Parts: sequence; C-alpha cells; structure tokens
Amino acid sequence: MRPLQPISPQARVLLGILFFVLFFAGWGLATLGGFVSPTFLADPITMVKDGIYLLTEQGFLGDIGMTVWRVVGGFVLSAIVAVPVGIAMGAYKPVEALLEPFVSFSRYLPASAFVPLLILWAGIGEMQKLLVIFIGSVFQIILMVAVSVAATRRDLVEAAYTLGARDGGIVRRVLIPASAPDIAETLRLVLGWAWTYVIVAELIGASSGIGYMIINSQALMATGQIIFGIIVIGIIGLISDFAFKTTNRHLFAWRFA
Amino acid sequence: MSELIVQGVSRTFPGVRGGKPVQALQPTDLEIAENDFVTVLGPSGCGKSTLLRIIAGLDQPTAGKVILDGKEIKGPGADRGMVFQSYTLFPWLTVRENVAFGLRERGIQAASSKEIVDNYIDKVGLRGFEDHWPKQLSGGMQQRTAIARALANDPKILLLDEPFGALDNQTRGLMQELLLGIWEREQKTVIFVTHDIEEAVFMASRVVTMTARPGRIKSITPVDIPHPRHYTVKASPEFSRLRLQLTEEIRSEAILAASS
Repeated sequence: MRPLQPISPQARVLLGILFFVLFFAGWGLATLGGFVSPTFLADPITMVKDGIYLLTEQGFLGDIGMTVWRVVGGFVLSAIVAVPVGIAMGAYKPVEALLEPFVSFSRYLPASAFVPLLILWAGIGEMQKLLVIFIGSVFQIILMVAVSVAATRRDLVEAAYTLGARDGGIVRRVLIPASAPDIAETLRLVLGWAWTYVIVAELIGASSGIGYMIINSQALMATGQIIFGIIVIGIIGLISDFAFKTTNRHLFAWRFA
Repeated sequence: MSELIVQGVSRTFPGVRGGKPVQALQPTDLEIAENDFVTVLGPSGCGKSTLLRIIAGLDQPTAGKVILDGKEIKGPGADRGMVFQSYTLFPWLTVRENVAFGLRERGIQAASSKEIVDNYIDKVGLRGFEDHWPKQLSGGMQQRTAIARALANDPKILLLDEPFGALDNQTRGLMQELLLGIWEREQKTVIFVTHDIEEAVFMASRVVTMTARPGRIKSITPVDIPHPRHYTVKASPEFSRLRLQLTEEIRSEAILAASS
C-alpha cells in the first residue's frame, strides 16, 4: 500500500462491504458461539427474527415513519431559520459581532438536557420533539454557514464589484452561490446529528417512534429488538446521506467537473 | 483631453501588530488620455498594483484623488473593468454566464445580452467552450474569459493587474497579441500593470516605470512603434533600444527592492 494511491471503484465497494461482513461474523461468533450471554446481547439471527416480528406484528413501520417525520420536520425548521441567519452573519460583520458570541455559547447547550424543560413548556406532543431537534441543530447550522460564507474568496468579491455589482448583488450572486456547496455539506452533517436528538427525545415521554420502541424493549429485555432499532436508524442514515451526496453532486456539478 | 487624472495619490498601510506604517505609494500624479494604452512597469512591491487598485476603487488612497471624466472615484464601478492576476472567474458559472455577469447585474436579461456575450466569446477565441465551467479550462483560457467578461461590460477603462503573470511564456505571448489586437480594433483606454519589460514595451503606447518602495513614477516613455504590431516587432532595433533603456531604469530599482 502506497500513501494516497487511489483504488478502483470495485475494490472500494468490495472493501466497504467486507467490513460489514467481518462485523456481523464477529458478532455472530461472540453470540452464537456462546461467549456472550443472550441476556446482554442477542445474536444476529434473533435480531432478524425480532425485526420481522416488529415489522409484521407490532406496526414498527409506523414508528419508523413517525421518527423520520420528526427528524425531517425539526431539521427543516432549523434550516429555514439558521441558513438565512448564518448567511447574514457571514456577510455582514456587525451582525456577526452581535450574534456570534451568543450562538457559540448556545451551541454547547446540550439539546438532551432541554428535554425536561421542553416537556414542561410544550407537553409531550410532537412540538416538544421538534423543539429538541431544533435546539440541537439550529445553532450548529448558523455557525457553520456563517463560517462558509465568510470564507468566500475575496478576489471573487472584488471581481464582482469591478463588474458593477452592488452590495445586495454581492450577497446574492457571489457569497451565496460560492458557499452553497459548503452550506449543503453542513446540512448533510447536521441531519446526521439530528438523528441522535430525536432518539433522545423519544426515549423520554413518547408514545411512538423508534426511540420509544427501544425503551419499551429494554423493559422486556428484548436486546434483539433494540439492536434491530439501532440498525434501522443506521440504514436510514446511510440512505439519507447517500441521497444528500447525490443531490449535492448534481446541484454543484461545477465543483466536481 | 485627459480621461483619467491621478492627483497626488498616495497610500500608506497601517502597521501590522504595532509595527511601523508602510508607505506603498508616494504622492503620484498621472494623466491618461482616452484610448491610451499605458503599461505600468516596476519591481515587485513598488506599489503599481496598489495604484491600479485605487483607480479601480478597490482601495482608498491615503491622500489625493482619482478623477474619471471629471468625476472623483469613490468606489468600484462598472466603468472600470478589471482583470486580475489570480483566476477570478466565478467557478459556479459557465463561460457564457461569466461573460454575461456584468450585463445581468445591470438588469439585462440573458436573451438580450446574448449577442454581446457571443461577440466577445468569439473575440477571445472561446467559441465552443461557452458551456464549460472555469475548472475545465486552462489558465490562458480562463484569463481570456476574464478579459471578455470585463470588455462585455463596455467599461471606459480596462485595468489589468499582471493578467498573464501566471501563464507560461508561449501562452503569454499569444495572449499579448490577442489583447493588443482587440485594443487596436476596438480602441479603449487601458492601464496594464506588469513586471515584464518586453510585455510592457510590446503592448504600450506609453510605459510608466516606477521606483522601488515606496513607489513613485520614475519615468514615462512613449513607444512609437506603429500599429498594428506583429510579434516580430520584438526583434526590431527600435524595440531592442526601448527594452535596453527600460531595463537600465528598472534594474537599479530592482536592486534597491531586493536589498531593502
């Protein structure tokens, strides 16, 4: 192996799959081989059986739908608020000076710690779940968008000025398109984090969702179901990530040309 | 009649981290007539780019003023097009969209600007590349697009800041001929900053040389080689004489710049 030497696309896919196979093999060996007690860790076969049971008998698809809806809802809400604020902060230094300290502070407030407060304020309905995701995502997006916009190449801005662009035109036709791929990448990252917040929100005070199923399964000691739930989250994450990447590649083809 | 008047323009940059302020440009006077092609020649750090950026309105003079057509310059504007040394095409726009940028900024829609845009794409020899992104072009092609983009805006003055500095020698020669050819046909006021003596003589009606930092104008040399100029004039006795004369002038400044 040489450092930085590229590999063929086939080899890349095969190696990627290989590790999943190794992982499941190791897991199967530990559980089916009797090295780990089934009370603590279910084996892969039980996990699959539990999964089929959940999907066919327990209406788990409905739970998955609820969770996806919450993630997307909370994420879209925070993006609608955060992207414009982030752009304003990146483009205009007084706005940055006004908001940056507060946003940096808020970014470190743990979203999960807000759950008890949010239950007090918003009850245990959907609004509370959306708010957990919103608090967890909005400050991260604002800050990362602001950094991307502020990092726009200065010579492109100057070129636009000499072509007669005014201040508004600089924002709309230089700063935003120049940082759009980075903004999309930020959204992709934060969507991944939103998944952890939704599960936390569902572990406490929920009556549906993947997190709710997981906490219920714990009471039943059904580790197979818990693991199935976790894997479902992983798969959905993988799919959304892939969709995001493909869309970005399509939208920002100029960068990949 | 002078179109552009530089009046006592100087520029001092504030010291960085408590350091001493740096004077980049001493008070400078310069008058440039309509359709003049002036090259500004000087060693690195002589303030020639600073002067150009002040004319473009991208930098403010510490003292003095620049007057274009009787009006003092306060900031950048479409009447002064600029081509930079770095590649400044907008990477998310195609060649055609880049060239149309200034027109669109003035509210002219793509349909009505198409003729102007295509015309300039033709002039810089980029037909067939209209729908390419800058990333897909060579350095020379990117700078040709940048020239077309500046010209499509129909500025009063075209400012060029070492536009061919990053190109290889052969490409640079071709680009000089291309730009000079466009100037000979279109007539335009041009200020062209370079540190390349041959380039300065070949392109110019007048060569302005500058001293080492803090820069000021050392001499103004008219170049009376007739137009249209073919690249072979670079081998003529008149050209050699001018090159030698300017080399002498710049050399002492370069020595000063290198030792400071």
